Amino acid sequence: MFFRLLMESFRRQRRRKTLAGLAILLGTTAVTAMLALATTIGDRIHKELAVYGANIVAYPVADLLDVKVGGVDVKPASGGTYLKESDLKKLRGIFWANNITGVSPELPIRVLGATSTGTIVDAAGIGLWFEHDLSNGGSPLRTGAVALHSWWKLDGAWPNEAATTDDSAEAALGKAMASRLGLKAGDVIQTAAQTAAKNQSTSRAFMLRVTGIVSTGDTTDDQVFLPLNAAQKIAGTPDVVKRVEVSARTKPEDAFARKDPDSLSPQLREIWYCRPYANSIAYQIREAIPGAGAEQVRRVEQSEGNVLKRISGLMWLVCAAALLAAGFAVSAAMATAILERQGEIGLMRSLGASRATIALLFYAETGLLAIFAGGLGYLAGSGLAAWLGARIFSGEGATTLGTVLNPVLFPVVVTIALAVAIAGSTPSIRRALKMDPSAILRADV
Amino acid sequence: MSGRLSMGAMLRRSLVHRRARSLSALLAMTVSAAVATALLTLYADLDAKLHHEFRSFGANIVVTAASADNGKGLPADALKVVENAAGTNAVAAEFGYAVATTDRGTPVVVAGTDFDAARRLNAWWQVDSWPAPTDANAALLGQRAANFIADERTVQLTFADKPLTLHGAGRLRTGGDEDSRIYMPMAAFTAWTSAQPSVIEVQVSGGAAQVEAAINRLKKQLPQAKVEPVRQLVEGESRIVDKTHALMYGAVVLIALTVAVSVLATLSASVLERRRDFALMKALGGSQAHLMGMFLLEALVLALAGVAVGFLVGSAAAWTISRINFHTASLPRLSVLPMVFLLNVLIATLAALFPVRVLRRLEPAALLKGD
Repeated sequence: MFFRLLMESFRRQRRRKTLAGLAILLGTTAVTAMLALATTIGDRIHKELAVYGANIVAYPVADLLDVKVGGVDVKPASGGTYLKESDLKKLRGIFWANNITGVSPELPIRVLGATSTGTIVDAAGIGLWFEHDLSNGGSPLRTGAVALHSWWKLDGAWPNEAATTDDSAEAALGKAMASRLGLKAGDVIQTAAQTAAKNQSTSRAFMLRVTGIVSTGDTTDDQVFLPLNAAQKIAGTPDVVKRVEVSARTKPEDAFARKDPDSLSPQLREIWYCRPYANSIAYQIREAIPGAGAEQVRRVEQSEGNVLKRISGLMWLVCAAALLAAGFAVSAAMATAILERQGEIGLMRSLGASRATIALLFYAETGLLAIFAGGLGYLAGSGLAAWLGARIFSGEGATTLGTVLNPVLFPVVVTIALAVAIAGSTPSIRRALKMDPSAILRADV
Repeated sequence: MSGRLSMGAMLRRSLVHRRARSLSALLAMTVSAAVATALLTLYADLDAKLHHEFRSFGANIVVTAASADNGKGLPADALKVVENAAGTNAVAAEFGYAVATTDRGTPVVVAGTDFDAARRLNAWWQVDSWPAPTDANAALLGQRAANFIADERTVQLTFADKPLTLHGAGRLRTGGDEDSRIYMPMAAFTAWTSAQPSVIEVQVSGGAAQVEAAINRLKKQLPQAKVEPVRQLVEGESRIVDKTHALMYGAVVLIALTVAVSVLATLSASVLERRRDFALMKALGGSQAHLMGMFLLEALVLALAGVAVGFLVGSAAAWTISRINFHTASLPRLSVLPMVFLLNVLIATLAALFPVRVLRRLEPAALLKGD
């Protein structure tokens, strides 16, 4: 009998059920979409913030002081100490390896030579990875300077490190330098490469083919951009890098992050170590690469944390506002839906149904509606969030069902829908049950 | 008004007698108005608030002396000119650079600056203790530079055979080039090295368009200097602000739609359940238009009351959200009121007109006799 009543109620009162269901459906859609966006906003904004460049930098700790003004080395240090390029793959093995999204080593050198028209070239050069596969046995991370400097504008092609041979390599020129020397893509610079062997270095001819012109917007516009292996050949220093820029996904710094790990108790130190703070990742880089100092780039890291906190905070607060508004609207809709069925309640009471049975019937109806409409709303909201996310933050990886549907949200959303619908209908059910059935039936409200 | 009910009286009775229903409809209209007000107020303030946050990235324009007149530096009044041209909200700090030698014989870049301006501009500098403005010979030591100095308290430097002793106030940590430098007050720097400031870093608040405009103004005022944007900052800021803006826009539309449909459901249900009244009025000779007008008026009164209460609630919500998240308040904006009003009236009208098809089909006699 109970189930027949329940089923008939859904079959016969389609309009009322549709309206209440629609309210729940839209409410859960909005809440799911907002929650799905709010939970992913951190990663998305972090990706956007990557335009500011590396947030951690590693350098040889025993090195001499940089004498740089405005990005130009005033007194290029001769010699000094270096990091090993072959050590960089160890970055793929640290605890937070998966949070490292970009690695860009640098080797500044001096390029001396002449163009094919005989103009003397004496310029700063920098050896970089452009597109390099960094792998430590597992799947490689394709990374390099291009990914970490998204504001560099290239006309032509980036040099290919695989094209470097013993006597030639590809190179790109900074815009200022190219216009000063009148060079363009396809031109050639003759320079010399050093071979260090047993205390004496011999030099041999080395040819650079220009593949592109780079505009960086700062002083590095007056540079030659070389593949790292070519720069090492020219300088005669195999397997070395001077500085490594690292871009990592981090957790914004809090008071705990600023603690010195060596002053913490072993348990706290473990916790500190296992949180993706910029400081912990820098610490792990220092551990992994022999002779390296690593430091967070405070300008990027601190400000990013700030912006990230504000934008995700805003999303969460708007999300809470959405939840509140949807809750109110759904309860109002549910209250009305019950209120207009007072007559029915009066009839059932006068036919001998107990209050508990009637309340159960109505709660069962409400519950079914909430679960069904809430489930649909979860699907619609997930789809909507994926669509909105893809529209606003373009250039993401392929969207699969796994990335669209967040399984954690499902119970959350359905529980919320259930709670709100039941809370909304409770006052109306209680009021209707309290009234005298004969009064309700006669008044025929 | 003898014997006839006036519209006003009917309206009053309808609202008062069905108090529960009127209240739930009023609540719905208030929620919709409050949500619209809160989101529109936040949305209107969003750009200014976000640009404010991006100030923590520091300078987005760099003015340097043109390389042609090497070593001469910028004109003496350059900082004043820059501050005037960049606008009231801008922060500017000047820097002069020289290469000196430490007591251990290591070459080091020494930078002259105004500590106060540098501090305002570079919020990310981590400094043990900022030197007092009265201390004319204070120095901040970059953490890497500090390793090449024997005595961090009394720092002895030599520039072109001219010795100078500075009080080290503390270390400076940035993770950038600053780590390898020593910072000192501008006046002492100029007196010691006789070099003028060569770089002015400027922070202009706003998006790419404002920065572009400020650069043009600066170029006009300082034709001899090189004025360049810090490209990654300007581009990144515009991109992120635009995306957040779009995201908020999506959220506003989504929430407004949800609330609107729920309100529609509530209101139209309350219209529909009064089929009996409707039938009675029709039987007594009321015209269709007359009765629709009646419902419409009722819905509009509720909508209006909803706007009045909702605007207050929504403004308070927007204020709270801004306060919590951005630590600055969003003041109530009267300019969002027409939009909120329009939205609520639209919902109310739809809610009153939505059931009209159902009502028109009603046969008064059948309904009055019993379903």
